[in-house]
Amino acid sequence: MIILPYGDSALLINFEQIVDEAVNQQVIALHNILKHWPEVKFTIPAYCSLTVGFEKALTSQTELKEKISATDLSPISTAEQQRTVHIPVCYEGDLAPDMRDVAEISGLSHEEIIVQHTAQPYRVFMLGFVAGFAYMGKLPEALQCPRRDTPRKEVPEGAVGLAGFQTGIYPTIAPGGWQLIGQTPVKTFDPVEQNPSLLQPGDLVQFRAISRTEFDTITDSVRIGGYKPEVSHG
Amino acid sequence: MAELLTLHFDKSGLHTTVQDLGRQGYQPLGIPSNGVMDHAAAKVANWLVDNPEDYPVLEITLIGPQIRFEGTGQIAITGANLSPTLNGDAAPAYETIDIQSGDELRFGRPVAGCRAYLAINGAWNIAQWLGSYSASAVKPGELTPESLIEKGSKVAVVPGQSIEKRAVPAEQRPNLSNIRDIRVLPGPEFSQLSNLSIASFFSQDFKISNDSNRMGYRLQGAVQGFNPKNEVISSGIIPGTIQLTNAGEPIILLADAQTSGGYFRLANVIAEDLDKLAQLKPGDEIRFRLS
Repeated sequence: MIILPYGDSALLINFEQIVDEAVNQQVIALHNILKHWPEVKFTIPAYCSLTVGFEKALTSQTELKEKISATDLSPISTAEQQRTVHIPVCYEGDLAPDMRDVAEISGLSHEEIIVQHTAQPYRVFMLGFVAGFAYMGKLPEALQCPRRDTPRKEVPEGAVGLAGFQTGIYPTIAPGGWQLIGQTPVKTFDPVEQNPSLLQPGDLVQFRAISRTEFDTITDSVRIGGYKPEVSHG
Repeated sequence: MAELLTLHFDKSGLHTTVQDLGRQGYQPLGIPSNGVMDHAAAKVANWLVDNPEDYPVLEITLIGPQIRFEGTGQIAITGANLSPTLNGDAAPAYETIDIQSGDELRFGRPVAGCRAYLAINGAWNIAQWLGSYSASAVKPGELTPESLIEKGSKVAVVPGQSIEKRAVPAEQRPNLSNIRDIRVLPGPEFSQLSNLSIASFFSQDFKISNDSNRMGYRLQGAVQGFNPKNEVISSGIIPGTIQLTNAGEPIILLADAQTSGGYFRLANVIAEDLDKLAQLKPGDEIRFRLS
């Protein structure tokens, strides 16, 4: 763990600079401690770094750095409850506009892509890009493919995409170059909610394949506020 | 219960938003801090009308709105000089202004600076989002509706106790016409830069491009000899972070910037000079100095 000054009112804590679950667990563990400190104004957990903004009236870079260095990370990481969010995805037809390209790149069939994408839960390493966009991974090697040559100006809300080792859900309509292999009817970002983002850093996400009929049924249910995705703990 | 002071916007201006000192604690969800670009100017505006410094203000950019007041109250204007007039006469900056029902505030030619702040004595009757009044993009290109001023918008304020006029003496007001030097501290990836690149960054004038806004200022001019060996794994961005694109062009990330990025972070503008940057506009030239 290396603690660097970052401007005049923040620190940047760099962990081993790799994309790795164990490293990201340390990031989230430290984030969960520091976010409660009164002198900490904000934190930004990322793949293998934590940005910490502080109140200049309450501490200094040197003082905060020493306090963080002296913090024991071990008890917190084990006590943290792991959330798994189950998200239904329809991988069919016009909801999966890049399925054919991904099949070509990966050499997998449509069926095999679905099986691979839903085979294991993915870790939410961080959120960023736009409000509520969760960077998840890592994808199985076979599913890893480059971004599209030309990004789309508007990716629909709920689109599920692939980019390199990552998979993600577009929380709102946004520009984007990820390969779109499906769409979820679940709203992952809702500004009117007290906690607007369904996904939090450190969550696990398990995708489940659904039919177009089920997609439409859940879409209707989401519209009237009657659908909540299953969340398991443990 | 005091009578409301209502602002009717007959024109919105170029980009007029409601801002306060920003929204903290939602960066982990990818939501930026937002908030006023020029903190000092906004705080002074609120002091001039006896509000706490974190009360909302209007941030007015280059071309101001046209506002009709209904009800009585007090306002103050700070920051950029955008030639404000009240009922046709020049309106004073950096002092408390009494408002009568029917008064009309307009803005004219931008004389100095880029962003003016309008504070109103009292509590604003508009919705917060996630603990802040500051306009935020709930999706790309779409701001929280209550914080974006459009033609026909209305903002109501519950007027606070009327105070005796306050003013900031002329010699204590910021001089916005000669801003050039911007002080920075080395950024997280600074030590990976060659001496040539460092010299190039600190020795040239950079022009603020037209493609600049509250998210960030793109600068015209390239840092010489920039040849990044390692990719940066996406990591936190804060207001004032100066990123270098792979072509060596600096971008200064600001209040509405996304919370993370994967570009080389060369330096950070110190907090005090972010206020100066807020008063610069496309075409202005800056030079970086090590703080």
